[in-house]
Amino acid sequence: MNATTPSIQLGSGLAIGYSSPLAKFEQAVELCGGTHFLLARNGRGKSTLLRTIAGSLKKLSGDFSTEGFMQYLPEDMRFDQELTPKAIFQALLHKSKHEAAFTLADRIELDVNKMYGRLSTGNRRKTALIMAENSVADGRGNILLLDEPFSGLDAFARETFEEIWNQTANNVLRLVSCHPDYDSMHMPSVLLIEGSKISHHSADGQKWSSLKALLN
Amino acid sequence: MRLFKLTFATIFRKKAWAICLFAVLVLPFALPMISSATEKPLLLQPARIQAAWATLFVCTMLWGFYAAASLGESNTKSGTGEYFRTTGLSATRQLFEIWLALFSYIVPLALLATSICLFAAMPSDPDEQGMWWTLNFQYLALFLLVFAPLLALATALASRFGGITGFGVTLLIAIYGLYGVSYLDIMLKLEANSVLQALWLCSPQYRFADLTQRLYFKTGALSGEVFTNMLLYFTAILAVHTGISRLCFRSSANA
Repeated sequence: MNATTPSIQLGSGLAIGYSSPLAKFEQAVELCGGTHFLLARNGRGKSTLLRTIAGSLKKLSGDFSTEGFMQYLPEDMRFDQELTPKAIFQALLHKSKHEAAFTLADRIELDVNKMYGRLSTGNRRKTALIMAENSVADGRGNILLLDEPFSGLDAFARETFEEIWNQTANNVLRLVSCHPDYDSMHMPSVLLIEGSKISHHSADGQKWSSLKALLN
Repeated sequence: MRLFKLTFATIFRKKAWAICLFAVLVLPFALPMISSATEKPLLLQPARIQAAWATLFVCTMLWGFYAAASLGESNTKSGTGEYFRTTGLSATRQLFEIWLALFSYIVPLALLATSICLFAAMPSDPDEQGMWWTLNFQYLALFLLVFAPLLALATALASRFGGITGFGVTLLIAIYGLYGVSYLDIMLKLEANSVLQALWLCSPQYRFADLTQRLYFKTGALSGEVFTNMLLYFTAILAVHTGISRLCFRSSANA
């Protein structure tokens, strides 16, 4: 496999959970560059699966492997109240990425000079997403595990990020947990947690409306 | 060094360091004005020395430990620790970068207190001036050697047990090591007790690192042998505290 091509291999029998299994893969799944959605009802193990792949949690059984520079963005990740998004970007991003981060912030209407503690939930999510997207390593494969990145995000910002995701699909694998809010949402690759089974569904024209009935 | 930069920026934005900087800079000159030094000018410089180091100790033990505990707790609870860990930054490296960011604020404060003693309380006798430089740098080295691991300990304890525990336990250890062991020593001289003797033996004798009295009474620098022994002693404590800190530190709530 090319060094710039990210991948996640999830083996058959891989079980996730804390003391007892929450869900298990019955078939092996391989994910490559591009955007993959992770769907399940509340409490079924979306965050647990992301944390397991990220290495924050131990798997209960089975095997998996990842190829690429990993970043896991927890849903509740937050920065110090008194920092501004500008200070956060300057601290966490390479100097060459500052301009791109500020331009993106301007495009999605994030005030980089406002204190983080005074930002709305959506603007806090934007800050974390801009940081993660601009921390992507150049010249190698990247894996971005995003836990509910759309919560609180306005439709315009969401479309902007989806546009960026399409542009960088070759060297960035994004596994995005979310609760879709419109039936026509395009989802060509989906990891679905149905009860205690995790399965992969992929099809070019696949939409949220066709997957909704599978959630229980 | 992304976490170092983020932590450094966080401390900078909170501005509490500015209060400490002001205190270390101004109190050594202001406090002697309201002491008996106003009536006896001879006491002015000793009072300034005492105020400079006392302010530094108070700032480090109150603000330094509090900031360390607060940073350790927020790294775990805010999800930043987990984020950095998934990017490949180990827990050891995270603890180091948080500690280094805070230590970068403590070192200038300590240098400032030392400078005040050197330039605003230097003995007029040229024979004593060489000793004064040596003694001040010995004090600075011992101060940093004592407080460096305690800051890491506060961060680590807070990451696992919460900010209040991280701050409180470290503050108690420092106060006990600086003052408590002296009382224990007096008690043991009055009445032998094997349990207290054992406790005294394994207590951190931070009081040996407090050279204020030596500066105050101009009793001279520590001999090379004594200073080396003290360096070794406090380095051993540093090693123990570093080990405990690493064992306690966690980067995320479920780590």
